[in-house]
Amino acid sequence: MSNFFNKLSNFFGIKKKSVKVIMIGLNNSGKSTIVSLLKNDSEKSPEIIPTIGLNVEHFKYQNVFFTAFDMSGQGRYRYLWERYYRNCDGIIFVVDSSDRLRLAVAKEELYLLLQHPDVAGRKLPILFLANKMDVREALSSVKIATAFGLDRIKDKPWHIFSTNALTGEGLQEGVEWLTEQLCQTVA
Amino acid sequence: MAIKRDKKEEEDGGNPFQSLDKTSVLQDARTFNETPVEPRKCTPILTKILYLLNQGEQLGPAEATETFFAVTKLFQSNNTLLRRMVYLGIKELSLIAQDVIIVTSSLTKDMTGKEDLYRAAAIRALCSITDATMLQTIERYMKQAIVDRNPAVASAALVSSLHMSRIASDVVKRWVNEAQEAVNSDSIMVQYHALGLLFHIRKNDRLAVTKLVAKLTRMSLKSPFAVCMLIRIACKLLEEESSGEYADSPLFDFIEACLRHKSETVVYEAAAALVNLRHTTTRQITPAVSVLQLFCSSPKPALRFAAVRTLNKVAMTHPTAVTSCNIDLENLITDSNRSIATLAITTLLKTGAESAVDRLMKQIASFVSEISDEFKIVVVQAIRALCLKFPRKHGTLMTFLSAMLRDEGGLEYKASIADTLISLIEGNPEAKESGLAHLCEFIEDCEHTSLAVRILHLLGKEGPKTKQPSRYIRFIYNRVILENAVVRAAAVSALSQFGAQCPDLLENILVLLARCQMDTDDEVRDRATYYFSILQNQDRHLINNYIVEPPQVCVSSLEKALMLHLMETPEEVFDLSSVPLAPPPLSDEVQAAPTVVQEPLAALGRPAVSKEESASDRLRAIPELSWIQGPLFKSSDPISLTESETEYQVRVTKHVFKNHIVLQFDCTNTMSDQLLEKVRVQLEVSEGYQIVAEVPCQRLACSETSPTYIALQFPDAPNLTVTNFAATLRFVVKDCDPMTGIPNSDDGYEEDYMLEDVEVMLADQMQRLTKSNFGAAWEEGESYSELEDTYNLSGINSLEEAVRSVVSFMGMQPADRSDRVQPDKSSHTVYLGGMFRGGVEVLARAKLAMGNSPGVAMQLTVRSPNPDICELIISVVG
Ligand SMILES: Nc1nc2c(ncn2[C@@H]2O[C@H](COP(=O)(O)OP(=O)(O)OP(=O)(O)O)[C@@H](O)[C@H]2O)c(=O)[nH]1
Ligand SMILES: [Mg+2]
Repeated sequence: MSNFFNKLSNFFGIKKKSVKVIMIGLNNSGKSTIVSLLKNDSEKSPEIIPTIGLNVEHFKYQNVFFTAFDMSGQGRYRYLWERYYRNCDGIIFVVDSSDRLRLAVAKEELYLLLQHPDVAGRKLPILFLANKMDVREALSSVKIATAFGLDRIKDKPWHIFSTNALTGEGLQEGVEWLTEQLCQTVA
Repeated sequence: MAIKRDKKEEEDGGNPFQSLDKTSVLQDARTFNETPVEPRKCTPILTKILYLLNQGEQLGPAEATETFFAVTKLFQSNNTLLRRMVYLGIKELSLIAQDVIIVTSSLTKDMTGKEDLYRAAAIRALCSITDATMLQTIERYMKQAIVDRNPAVASAALVSSLHMSRIASDVVKRWVNEAQEAVNSDSIMVQYHALGLLFHIRKNDRLAVTKLVAKLTRMSLKSPFAVCMLIRIACKLLEEESSGEYADSPLFDFIEACLRHKSETVVYEAAAALVNLRHTTTRQITPAVSVLQLFCSSPKPALRFAAVRTLNKVAMTHPTAVTSCNIDLENLITDSNRSIATLAITTLLKTGAESAVDRLMKQIASFVSEISDEFKIVVVQAIRALCLKFPRKHGTLMTFLSAMLRDEGGLEYKASIADTLISLIEGNPEAKESGLAHLCEFIEDCEHTSLAVRILHLLGKEGPKTKQPSRYIRFIYNRVILENAVVRAAAVSALSQFGAQCPDLLENILVLLARCQMDTDDEVRDRATYYFSILQNQDRHLINNYIVEPPQVCVSSLEKALMLHLMETPEEVFDLSSVPLAPPPLSDEVQAAPTVVQEPLAALGRPAVSKEESASDRLRAIPELSWIQGPLFKSSDPISLTESETEYQVRVTKHVFKNHIVLQFDCTNTMSDQLLEKVRVQLEVSEGYQIVAEVPCQRLACSETSPTYIALQFPDAPNLTVTNFAATLRFVVKDCDPMTGIPNSDDGYEEDYMLEDVEVMLADQMQRLTKSNFGAAWEEGESYSELEDTYNLSGINSLEEAVRSVVSFMGMQPADRSDRVQPDKSSHTVYLGGMFRGGVEVLARAKLAMGNSPGVAMQLTVRSPNPDICELIISVVG
């Protein structure tokens, strides 16, 4: 992000930090596209193909170094997500807002996540990204929040943003929110 | 003492990993989960894990999986050293851990990324976690990597492809164009690896290999390694060309031209190839031997070693050629490199005259204690060859061997000495007594159970036939007192042999066996009781059939036959005679032949399942054939019914049952533009035979081999069973696209193809039966029916040749080593034991004599309980 911003935050004395987040969500929701956008342009991988297993990526936002575990969302690999819950500081849950058909599947996965012993009871911030907002039949973030019953999450900070990973629209706000949360929780 | 040394090593900075403990190392591996990753902490821990795994430490699947996932977290760090350790960790753990595909994307990223340090290693790790289905998803990257400009990357991709082809050969086959391109690489390593892959992809397609070799031999490859490989492929092709004529072959010319290559590696490879080719004449290898001779005086020890080792190997096949290097070899006797010296001396021993033996043996004795077991075995093998060549020298050689036997040495070394002594004893009657004495002395202090057991068995077999059998009893009984249970059991069996064959000793043996019945071990007691009760009975028939010649059924077949019996016909009496016999131990003809360096017998693991057993399982699985009664009696070796380079190739294997014979035709289609369907063999069966089942092969694509079967019932009269059937291959052809193998249309046309006749021979119906005391068996056989006839074996010019052809024609086992002809004798008698299908015993005695007329005269006497079988044998011989 902008150099000016970095200088500014240094000036205000925000400590340099590294955090680890895990990116999950159904396959084809746009996780890998999102990380690649968050990375510096020079490192960007030329093309994005469905992830097998996981990819570890790094990016920096303000003065915070992010390590992102970009997991594969395919059904047969989802059971592997939980292996990476324990030591993460935050979760990015990406939803394809145009995929109405599988909204229920995504919801199911969310509840499995929330019940997992390594997640339940921890004050982990969860950033929901309602991606592919550019697609015509996309649901609004509010609709998705309702469909997921996000109100019921009381023990964790969460927020939902609509994004378009092709243009980057909405991403900045989302990551900014997450960074703020992480600065509060991670000592 | 040991503790002290450990301390000292620690001070010296010895192995810091010596006292690693798996549990605590795996505990430490949890550090990998922490953020941020600290490479300086994690790299040593990962090193320790790798060390443990390489030391053979076993990890359970759960432990391995947990560690594996901890390792995957290290991808967070961009420390290059750590990342390369991560690749190694992945490769090791991928063998045991689950869900290893989790790192697929991470590795793919590294493989295609910008960091060159990562790319090659990432490819290797990727291939170790990939299975056949996954391979498709990374196929594109593999193809790119094979032709990558970075040689390390291309090589890694090529070698990994070679490994992958074991699990997904069809996918790897599609990379042939990339491999072809890589053969043109400027990097010597890439070129070599590319040729390796290319050959591997094509190796089952002879025509393609021939084309490949023809093209590359003209191209002059840059990489000496690739040229070496090409030489090996060329040799393989030459050996497969059955003609055995190298004269006009461009392949042979190519290898010969490589003798003038600028790389020494290539020159050596070519020379070694030429001398090792099976049919080269002495004149053809002369240039190669000159090259080796030159290498013998090279200042480089590696070259001298390679040259002398090769000469040593071919000393027996090309003695005259090797003799021409004698002066150079003499110079190497005092080479400071003991391995070179040993090989030089043993080569000279093999080719030298009898007069040189003593001098050379003295030379060896001066440093034999300094060389490793491996080379001591080379010495032993040379001595073995010498004993066969100069029987009169057995005194010197045997003393030398027994001195070696008393020295320190591992099992393989000791076994090779014992093998040599045993073959000396068996082959040379004059050496028997002194050889047995050496062995008796050796087992007094022998720490190798398996060797002691073998020697005891030999003493039981040979001891009773010596002049003074009683002298061996003490040595054997000492084993009963002093050794472990396995040796004690063997000693009990050996004792019983003396009781069975030496009436004078029976009384004493019974006393000893009675004592053995108090042994603490079940097996020892059981044996003692068994032998005691048979011997006490003094029934000659029982003693002969259950001690001297115990039943020789194949134990695993017996187990199968019993299971089958219980499942199918438990109410009937079990027929022991239907159980296949255990195959006789490796035939001595093969062992004793003075060819190139022999493998020590002990190293040759016997195959776990016999040919018959695996064939039996396969046949039982075919519904049309599974009803055939009785266990499989004998399977022949495959015999080719076509010339070697024809369009269609057929090999027949004959599986003989009690009343049936199943012909298995393995058909190969080499036509890349044809798909064959409904492939079957048509037989013109001769009188008495009846076809009872047929299993065609429905589909045979190019370069595939598949079987079709015909089952026949044997004629009732044995003398009709030995015959020929005319055979024709019949099938429907569909023309197809050579690239894809897909037929152009659904219509096919019928074709047939003449095959050579299928012969059913006597040997197919006969199993070898080892009679260790033929005299006793022959006497037993007096109650059988007997037939006798005289023949003139024309076209056979020596007694050895006559023995060989009678043995193989009859398919019976020579007893009492009667297949060995004493040199310079004009007559010889062979004793043969066999079992005809259905479990009928057959004994035969063939008296052979060289007459005045050309050929060998033979008087053959056959005894068997079944007169028809006597008649069959008498009528088919000749
Ligand atoms: N129209 C549109 N397409 C998007 C957007 N984000 C991603 N895509 C496309 O969606 C497809 C899948 O994106 P990925 O980033 O591979 O999805 P993923 O979540 O990483 O999928 P897995 O790795 O299989 O779990 C790609 O073709 C992207 O170009 C978006 O905001 N709008
Ligand atoms: Mg992805």
